[in-house]
Amino acid sequence: MEILHIENLSFRYPKADKNAIENINLSVNSGEFVAVCGESGCGKTTLLKMIKKELSPEGEKSGKIFYKNISQNDLDDRKSASEIGYVMQDPDSQTVTDKVWHELAFGLENLGVPAEVIRRRTGEMASYFGIHNWFRKKTDELSGGQKQLLNLAAVMVMQPKILILDEPTSRLDPIAASDFISTLQKLNRELGLTIIIAEHRLEEIFPIADKVLVMDSGKVLLCDAPKNIGKELRKISETHPMLLGLPSAVRIFNSLSIPDECPLTVKEGRDFLERHFVFKETLAKEYVHNEKTAVELKNVWFRYEKDLPDILRGTSLKIYEGEFYCILGGNGTGKTTTLNVISGLNKAYRGKVFINGISIKEYKGNSLYRRLLACLPQDPQTVFIKDNVFKDLCELLKAMDIPKSERNEKITAIAERTGITHLLEKHPYDLSGGEQQKCALAKILLSEPRILLLDEPTKGLDACSKHTLGELLSELKRGGLTIIMVTHDVEFAAENADRCALFFDGEILSEDIPEKFFSENNFYTTAANRMARGLWKNAVTCEQVIRRCLENGGET
Amino acid sequence: MKAFSNYHPAVEAVYFISVLLFAMFVQNPVIELSALVGGILFCCVILKSSEAAGNIGFYVPMFFLTAITNPLFSHNGVTPLFFLNGNPVTLEAFVCGIFTAVMVIAVMLWFRCYSEIMTSDKFLYLFGRTMPKLSLVLSMTLRFIPMFKRQMHRVSRAQKTMGLYSSKSFLDRIKSALRVFSAMIAWSIENSMETSASMKARGYGLKGRTNFSMFRFYAEDIILLSVCTVLSGITVSGIFMGKTTFYYYPKITELNLSLYSIFVYTAFCILSFLPFIIEVKERIKWKYYISKI
Repeated sequence: MEILHIENLSFRYPKADKNAIENINLSVNSGEFVAVCGESGCGKTTLLKMIKKELSPEGEKSGKIFYKNISQNDLDDRKSASEIGYVMQDPDSQTVTDKVWHELAFGLENLGVPAEVIRRRTGEMASYFGIHNWFRKKTDELSGGQKQLLNLAAVMVMQPKILILDEPTSRLDPIAASDFISTLQKLNRELGLTIIIAEHRLEEIFPIADKVLVMDSGKVLLCDAPKNIGKELRKISETHPMLLGLPSAVRIFNSLSIPDECPLTVKEGRDFLERHFVFKETLAKEYVHNEKTAVELKNVWFRYEKDLPDILRGTSLKIYEGEFYCILGGNGTGKTTTLNVISGLNKAYRGKVFINGISIKEYKGNSLYRRLLACLPQDPQTVFIKDNVFKDLCELLKAMDIPKSERNEKITAIAERTGITHLLEKHPYDLSGGEQQKCALAKILLSEPRILLLDEPTKGLDACSKHTLGELLSELKRGGLTIIMVTHDVEFAAENADRCALFFDGEILSEDIPEKFFSENNFYTTAANRMARGLWKNAVTCEQVIRRCLENGGET
Repeated sequence: MKAFSNYHPAVEAVYFISVLLFAMFVQNPVIELSALVGGILFCCVILKSSEAAGNIGFYVPMFFLTAITNPLFSHNGVTPLFFLNGNPVTLEAFVCGIFTAVMVIAVMLWFRCYSEIMTSDKFLYLFGRTMPKLSLVLSMTLRFIPMFKRQMHRVSRAQKTMGLYSSKSFLDRIKSALRVFSAMIAWSIENSMETSASMKARGYGLKGRTNFSMFRFYAEDIILLSVCTVLSGITVSGIFMGKTTFYYYPKITELNLSLYSIFVYTAFCILSFLPFIIEVKERIKWKYYISKI
């Protein structure tokens, strides 16, 4: 049964010179799982918000939206509130109340459901989602993943027929994100819930989606089953930016033009490769690095408070000048803490930290942060303190005592280098995640650091922004910058890092060049490597696998 | 180990209000002393031992200060003990000072227990029924404050690693705090926009909103409420019959030790020891359970 029908929908924001979405036609059947993808700013959010009447933005609108054959304008408010659920991106700001149970009850309170029914329904929901263990907790004490699960449960408790999610996992770490996505899959399979989700994390969404909607500058580019998307997208354009965002299996299949069924998961991808190629030993290249060390930790111990357990337990590491060093590892293992020890925000109670061969204690006042070391925090919003990007960049130059006459020139130069010239006049909060990241990076680069610390720079970025960020970082590296990055993103690390390290239980367990590092891990490795590991040991990125395939001359 | 805090908020509120009213307004050494001892015992069982120890350092000097202040400034009474700068220091003023101190400390201790037991959600529940809008606003504020604090901490750390405002000068630090704060206002507005969207999406503003709470009235609550009412009733009857009347000036009256007044004192004593008794009973019960297992 058709549950949602959209006809020639167009929308234009006030004072905008072109439509945010244009001529959208879409039909969703009851129980379908629809993934909406596209680059940042392609109109995904606008489309999703328009489906939910209460969130429909102000502006010029044409076309029609039908929910169960009822036009949106005639839809009862109560029905719309309860039957169309909407989950947003930020786990924090969409939580309304201070207690978990109250958050669950909030929607039902609004609908005027009697207290006894609320008690039963919240209890049922909490058990279904496994929330019962933290039912009485404060919402503020939850982890990001728990918060997002709570937001989902708080919507589900109203018993929606359609669930709309706008990039719900982009602020979560990969493990919490896959948990969240498998919960969605469970809801779709067990309850027959219709789900429309905008996502960047296609690796996991592709195999479970019934239909994928690819959007490009406000228009529907494609709407097809996942396995046809790669092929169709290539027909439209060989260099379409969305091609980079497809799952590894699809990307590899796409580049090989072998007539076969398109693989979607790692399992299918491995079968596909093994059907067409044979095992061959390859040698990893030798790693050459600079002899001078940029950062060195010697047996560092750290804890946040006297009574709390140690976070770092004798961490030692050595990072050479001009190196791109990547620290990987699970949540709460102390990766960010290590970064903060290097940046001087956390002080080790035992052990030594050397920056450029000099102990960190010798750097007084601001001297560490002047033309030496800079840190890009996880949330780029925390970097901005002014109401437009240009003023914000000026602020840093002012703090660095650079005369007014030189400021403009410096800002223009850095803006061109990072590709943010067109964003300078905007308010930092109006930018998309990727744009914010770039502006924050530009601000940090203005202090001309020799060592750059990055904390999860790819969180919430789409494939295209990630690619640009990767290119920008390699260019900076060529200029002699040392980069230390903490990340969960194994794909990004495999493509860009010189060396990767696995952090666990307060210390570095293993470190090596990405080819060796990932091929020796069984679980903590890229999807491309998991597919190809039976054939070529040292192929860890999609490009490497594709290259090996082409070298081996296709079919055997 | 807070058996008392598991009771229904309304019962707890009635209990605290009655004990506090008696402790504050009944001028009688026996009532005041039992309120003090009850308060001390209650604090001992519900506060962490480290905190309880720290409190002694505050309450003991406070007690002596209050007790000494009265005889130094009040010279009423007919039994001078000695003269200070030509002014008599009387026995009556001295005793009155001690019992005023007993009252002040007792009330403070009871308020300390009150804040430990009556958490924000209980308070919200009690007043939320009469003012549903206010209770939601309070709940949202309680959610917002820790989030605001955390974000502010993050922003100032981020600014620090960019070498902004980490100099030692005082003026610079004030300036930096102000700038961070102004950025935080923009952040708050942005954040609240999303919160209000999330509220709207979940039907906030529809007619006929109900109020849900986690508290239920159990048989234990009714028992405690009736015990509390009976004991308070006896105390009130004693007060109105003049059985607890007591004056310090001009001469300390003799304590009324008639049968009925002893009955009244016992009633109040039980009332103020009630939470302590409940806590101890619960602990003994647990010990007994564990030994049985």
